[in-house]
Amino acid sequence: MDIDAQRLTRRYGALAALDGLSLEVERVKVLALIGPSGGGKSTLLRVLGGLEGADEGEVSINGTVLSADERQLLAWRRRNGFLFQQFNLFPHLTARRNITLPLEKVHGRTAAEAERVADESLERFGLTAHGHKLPAQLSGGQQQRVGLARAIASGPEILILDEPTSALDPEMTAEVLELIGELAAGGQDIILSTHEMGFARAVAGHVAFIAAGKVAEHGPSGELFAAPKEEMTRRFLSKVMRFA
Amino acid sequence: MARRSERAPLGLDLLLGLVLAAMVCALFWWVFSNLDTAWGWSRAWDFRQSLWRGWLVTLELSAGALAGSCVVAGLLVAGQRTRYRSLRWFSRAFVELVRGMPLLTLVLIGYYVVFAQSQVAGLLDRFGVGSKLWTGAALLSVFTGAYLSEILRGGLESIPQGQIDSARAVGFDRFQVFRWVVMPQALRRVLPALAGQFVSLVKDSSLLSVIGVQEFTAQARAFNSATYGGIEAFLPLAAGYLLLTLPLAGVAHAMERHFRYQM
Repeated sequence: MDIDAQRLTRRYGALAALDGLSLEVERVKVLALIGPSGGGKSTLLRVLGGLEGADEGEVSINGTVLSADERQLLAWRRRNGFLFQQFNLFPHLTARRNITLPLEKVHGRTAAEAERVADESLERFGLTAHGHKLPAQLSGGQQQRVGLARAIASGPEILILDEPTSALDPEMTAEVLELIGELAAGGQDIILSTHEMGFARAVAGHVAFIAAGKVAEHGPSGELFAAPKEEMTRRFLSKVMRFA
Repeated sequence: MARRSERAPLGLDLLLGLVLAAMVCALFWWVFSNLDTAWGWSRAWDFRQSLWRGWLVTLELSAGALAGSCVVAGLLVAGQRTRYRSLRWFSRAFVELVRGMPLLTLVLIGYYVVFAQSQVAGLLDRFGVGSKLWTGAALLSVFTGAYLSEILRGGLESIPQGQIDSARAVGFDRFQVFRWVVMPQALRRVLPALAGQFVSLVKDSSLLSVIGVQEFTAQARAFNSATYGGIEAFLPLAAGYLLLTLPLAGVAHAMERHFRYQM
């Protein structure tokens, strides 16, 4: 995928979550956003995913220019998949219904087709026994796997993951990361923000370090992790990797 | 969701139940043994037809106002959530005014100022809705609708932003977010409060006797003043209202169980 973001600004009241952020990458399969909390990773993902428009600046992905027009953003959201840190699933619907409902109402599949797709993806993620359960009856890792199954059920162009494992314990983190790794190996284009540096290094081809609403530096993950150019990146990496 | 606490010891539970039952019986026995009137159930029996008619009127009023109040509440909620500030303020003011007035006041003003005006009454008659029953149902709808709208608004606003984000992320448009994600969860949360409001509506319909609607309470009063029937008029009245309100509460509880899920 190609991303071309120019001078993106997004303000919440007095706070500029994105402060003139620019990022240009071409032919990247998996892009990881790393950096301190509150640096703007989530906001950038929300803009790239079409959940909200930027106040200033321009962004295009794979040649599609994202405007602030809600109808255009809706069409863009429908082409992609999105997974949040938590509060993903609809608590009043079973795991299976969580997957089939958008397929039917958004993507126009028949009920039978939607169920076939849901059962396939549940099986692929080892959740066949849990399809009939409500989210509250599932562990955090299972919930996040269902969320992942829902996000990819429609065959998204790009899968966007906002700290998909931050709310999970280490064991559940491992099972979710493994699935994401499988999806990446299968050729799925992915943009994710993460605090799992080992995972970013292993799976992402390209890494961007984001702080204070800007991209401090970005590059192929091997280079960035081995020899960060910016002092800020070095300090961040030495802190978070101390016990790795 | 309230978790049922652990079971109390059975023996103690039974004993407590017996004590409570005995206390209720004693209270009733004391109250009724002190009534020095002789029971006169034959008079109540003679009045059964008008009581029955009154009960049916109350049933009609309640059913009509139940539907009407949902429409009013829907409009007021929509009005308070629209982009148009003027409409929001209007709806807000409407809710506050109606909720700030006793129902009796609203009914009297509504009837004497609005519906009893000859032009208005004539117009309503032309559409076949000129009767006091229609007027009463409309006033009750407005009153209950204002309360319902606040309950619904509270429920809608209690749904976390994360759910709305999640719904938009899977590609739902504004209406679909509301229809499939926000509304079902909000309704489940406010179901107990809605049920309480509907039960209140049934009971509030008794106030419409002041504008001459011949509903259940009005008939019981007429019976009382015609025969000095007293308690024989009011016990059937209590039973008649419970016959309407208890099933309503039962349906609400069944729905709560059916739509149960945990956040």
